[in-house]
Amino acid sequence: MITLKDINKTYPGIVPLHVLRDINLHIDKGELVSIMGASGSGKSTLLNILGILDNYDSGEYWLDGVLIRNLSENRAAELRNRMIGFVFQSFNLISYKDAVENVALPLFYQGVGRKKRRMLAMEQLERVGLAERAHHLPGELSGGQKQRVALARALITNPSIILADEPTGALDSKTSKEVMQLFRDLNTDRNMTIIIVTHDPGVGEQTSRIIRISDGQITV
Amino acid sequence: MIDLANEIWQTMRNNKLRTALTGVAVAWGIFMLIVLLGMSRGVVNAFDANMGKRGSNAINIYPGVTTEAWHGYKMGRYIQLKDGDKDVLESRGDNKIGRVTAKVYGQSMTLSTDRDYAMTYYEGVFPSELSRSGTTMVAGRFINDADIDQKRKVIVLSLKMAESLFANPEKSIGETVRFGNLSFLVVGVFDSRWSRQVYIPYSTARMLAGNTDNVNQLVVELDNVRTLEDGIAAERTIRNTLASIHDYNPQDESAVYFWNQFNQHLQMNTGMSILNITVWVIGIFTLLSGIIGVSNIMFVSVKERTHEIGIRRAIGAKPHSILTQIILESVSITTLFGYFGIILGTALTAVIGHFIGEQDGFLNPGVDLSIAFEVTVVLILAGAMAGMFPALKALKVKPVEALRDE
Repeated sequence: MITLKDINKTYPGIVPLHVLRDINLHIDKGELVSIMGASGSGKSTLLNILGILDNYDSGEYWLDGVLIRNLSENRAAELRNRMIGFVFQSFNLISYKDAVENVALPLFYQGVGRKKRRMLAMEQLERVGLAERAHHLPGELSGGQKQRVALARALITNPSIILADEPTGALDSKTSKEVMQLFRDLNTDRNMTIIIVTHDPGVGEQTSRIIRISDGQITV
Repeated sequence: MIDLANEIWQTMRNNKLRTALTGVAVAWGIFMLIVLLGMSRGVVNAFDANMGKRGSNAINIYPGVTTEAWHGYKMGRYIQLKDGDKDVLESRGDNKIGRVTAKVYGQSMTLSTDRDYAMTYYEGVFPSELSRSGTTMVAGRFINDADIDQKRKVIVLSLKMAESLFANPEKSIGETVRFGNLSFLVVGVFDSRWSRQVYIPYSTARMLAGNTDNVNQLVVELDNVRTLEDGIAAERTIRNTLASIHDYNPQDESAVYFWNQFNQHLQMNTGMSILNITVWVIGIFTLLSGIIGVSNIMFVSVKERTHEIGIRRAIGAKPHSILTQIILESVSITTLFGYFGIILGTALTAVIGHFIGEQDGFLNPGVDLSIAFEVTVVLILAGAMAGMFPALKALKVKPVEALRDE
């Protein structure tokens, strides 16, 4: 599903910062992996590259058979929209849109009609168990509920991978477990490829493989 | 489209006070623009009604007094225009000089009918006087060529005169009025807003004056003139020709007086265009402050929504959809509140028109459809301009912003 070959990334500056050094990585379809590393280890940069949010300097990144390199902004946006489902630490829901509108938003950028969008969004909300909260604004939802709405939004385009950035970072231990359970269910029931970036060993333990990164290199 | 409108509506509703305050500035600008345009339209309308219909290709010449000694004549000599002058002018063969006619003014006269009598004075004129003076007929006809040839005793009355002499202007046609021991046949009635005189044929008027050659005014119809310079050149030719006939210094400006309707018309038109342009400029600049307000607010809004724009970009918004959204948001605010301004401005000009609509130099102020259309175009352009720079700023927001914690 994901193949990284000799990925290098340097942030230019007076003292150039070589954040990723010859990263080689292979993730199969249906894997649930976690990327762990201390802050400054380059794990965020790796996440940005995996999420097509940032470019890399050399190497190759293959996502679901597509070579992700030197894309135009439009093409990158299109690929993000169709292939990647993002789950963020701070949920990143749009505050003035209710749950169902938030979930439907990626489809808006695909040009899907209004009715169909709402229908599909309701389906996803049902799947994460929040159908009765569909018309609540994010401010009226608990942290766990918000993260489930975000997950529904990530799933609505039926992406190739789910990319989660510290998905439990803002949650208490009980809701963390619930959310992690949801990820595991997605992985086992729907064979969804999931990559979770975290520094929480407890989260890492619940994934089938841990990729450790330190000083811009994969150590394990 | 509905979705986009919905998105815009949501963000506007999200910042009610801010949207409203910005909107008021735009509404005020448009309001001022509309009121100014309405008022200037009133002035232009009045100009059109007063002078717009008047012929615009004539030069009128009136007798004057010399201020310089010339060829043995002393200064202070009265230059009497003669009937023969018009033939000399016509035979000059100058391509700018078309037909030349003349007018004879009568002394005050008393017209009477069985019903009433009235004091007035007459002008002996050619048929072309109708278009030159911009008079309109309300009944019957004007003086015609046959009247001139046959020295007919026919008369064209002013509306006021016809009303007092006959009660009903329509019924006066074909009736006779008495002038001393003569009787004149009424052939027409003209609309008199300002003129008090009556018209009779030129030839008849000369006869009444005792068959002298003296005339009170020459009227030169101009051909092939387009610019102010053409008009001045024609004036020069006429002045020189008359100077050689009447033997005065051609440089002496007061020997004969000129009223150049052609040049005056050009200048008035220029004046009206300048008025119109001035009003637009003032209005647009007033509007500009409102537009800058919108632009400012859009900048703030983009700044505030950096994170949100990042999220949208991360989940697949293409740059152009962000651009469109910001610009359309700006256009919506400007047009929505702009139309409030248009409505209020139109209402105010209507009220002003109602109370002082019919004064001298001011007639029917107001805005017509074409102005409303022009203003709409201005609003949309202005809104797009106001949104352009904030939108370009929004484009610079990278999707990585979504990962940054607030």
